Amino acid sequence: MHERLSFHIKRDSALHRLNPLTKIFLVLALILVAFLNPWYWTPHLLVLIAITPLSLLARVGAEYFRAAARLILPAVGFLFLMQAFFQPVGEEILFQFYFLDVTRESLMFAFSNAMRIFVMVSAFTLFLLTTHPSELMSDLTRRGLPGQFSYVIISTLQILPQIQARAQTTIAAQRSRGLETEGHFIKRAGSLIPLVGPLVLGSLVEVEERAIAIEARGFTSKSLKTSLHDIPDSSIDKALRWALAVIAILSITLKLWLS
Amino acid sequence: MAFVNLQNVTYQYPLTKSPVLQDITLQIEEGEFVAIIGPNGAGKSTLCYALGGFVPHFFKGEFSGMVEVAGKKSSDATLDEWVLTVGLAFQNPFNQISGAKYTVFEEIAFGLENTGVPREEMKSRVEQAMAQTGITDLSDRSPYTLSGGQQQRVALTSILVMQPRLLVLDEPTSQLDPIGTREVFGVIRAMAERGMTVVMAEHKMEWIAQFADRVIALKDGATLLEGTPQEVLTSDLLTENGFGISRYTSVAREARRRKRWRADVPLPVTLDQAAEGFAFTPPS
Ligand SMILES: Nc1ncnc2c1ncn2[C@@H]1O[C@H](COP(=O)(O)OP(=O)(O)OP(=O)(O)O)[C@@H](O)[C@H]1O
Ligand SMILES: [Mg+2]
Repeated sequence: MHERLSFHIKRDSALHRLNPLTKIFLVLALILVAFLNPWYWTPHLLVLIAITPLSLLARVGAEYFRAAARLILPAVGFLFLMQAFFQPVGEEILFQFYFLDVTRESLMFAFSNAMRIFVMVSAFTLFLLTTHPSELMSDLTRRGLPGQFSYVIISTLQILPQIQARAQTTIAAQRSRGLETEGHFIKRAGSLIPLVGPLVLGSLVEVEERAIAIEARGFTSKSLKTSLHDIPDSSIDKALRWALAVIAILSITLKLWLS
Repeated sequence: MAFVNLQNVTYQYPLTKSPVLQDITLQIEEGEFVAIIGPNGAGKSTLCYALGGFVPHFFKGEFSGMVEVAGKKSSDATLDEWVLTVGLAFQNPFNQISGAKYTVFEEIAFGLENTGVPREEMKSRVEQAMAQTGITDLSDRSPYTLSGGQQQRVALTSILVMQPRLLVLDEPTSQLDPIGTREVFGVIRAMAERGMTVVMAEHKMEWIAQFADRVIALKDGATLLEGTPQEVLTSDLLTENGFGISRYTSVAREARRRKRWRADVPLPVTLDQAAEGFAFTPPS
């Protein structure tokens, strides 16, 4: 099973020390600017002068580049190809691929769109790499997010690998009693039905046990909750949030004003 | 007035046809360590639920009688108040982790966060509890990747750290090896010495004999026997009613039948008692 159930990389850096909410502001501001700024090269520049240096500053450069190369680039590359081929704009045909025309305009358009998506996904990746989920949730709970809400989010994040493991066990158990789980597609689909019962019932029993277990530990207690981790929220954080909010508002007004 | 006071507790789950607990009356003094024994299905876990307030607050069904701890009745309290007085560690350790924490340390702090313990006190209490149960080295591990025995210790620590006045443990050593079992019994004994009241459902007779103050034998939801470990664990009624007994007791009983155990020496429960008893029995 996975020992690590989150993307978070524990390091000491300025970005790690920022308050989670400040980082959310940062991600949102980056996305807004990338999508709303009229200048063609804005998203590219953001990657060059903001996201990449930030990943190095956060000392997660290696992990960031790995995620970018393995996950983000393939997905964004696929988007780019789709838009380059299927976007019927422009006159200047660069080359033809069977019946598909690729124009200079569609290429430009696809490229900038792909870069915008790249900014969005990589900013978010950087956020996940530098923010511990329970830190994020403690902070949001402290700011008034209901405790039940953060419990549901975190436990769901953690429980997915559990359900996967349970499915595996159930399959193994039933296969050992002669159930077909391999072979022809229809046969396989049919053999999934007996898996559902144990999986769902098992999960329900587990939910009940889990419910009484957290109840035994005062989950529904009416007293004011405290938090193990001290989540820093410095004056730098507050100033940064204001600055980022101003940037976000400026890009929105600029966009509205130009259109 | 006893610290724990059960009066005619009778309970039936919504789907069962007959009562699972039948007219149980029981008094426990503060600082006492009481073990509950009984075959599978005897109602040990249900009795633990009744002490922990989950019967009748969580499990519906027909409940009558009274459960009183530290002068308060469970039926007068809400569950979230009751768990502050009575801490219950459940039989199955696997579903006791909160599922919302990434390390064992955070997991154990969960109950203290919920009940609003200040951060510095929280940290020192968690560290202290982990040292007591010997899991300090698991501090940074993910609760999901522990072995059964380790999870069981984490579950026990998570309740201990909340410092309940009555600690109820449902088979807390079922996943533990002999060394782990001995350690856990030692920790619980020490808690009782310091004034915590302990009720523990358990099958391991030899350990009960060494550590518990009193034993209650449950059969079909009713009290069959009650007394000191020596009295209860060597009673002939146990084998007649399908209880498992210590192997030392059964060996000595067989020896007594063959006149190789002196009639005036009580039957043993532990290895030491057996060795001593055999030493005093002259070969005939
Ligand atoms: N949630 C439930 N709903 C209905 N019946 C239950 C429930 N839990 C237990 N029972 C029934 O109540 C009876 C007593 O169960 P209990 O779990 O208290 O026994 P136990 O002494 O703890 O057994 P074991 O040694 O197996 O843990 C059993 O017949 C059981 O089937
Ligand atoms: Mg039980």
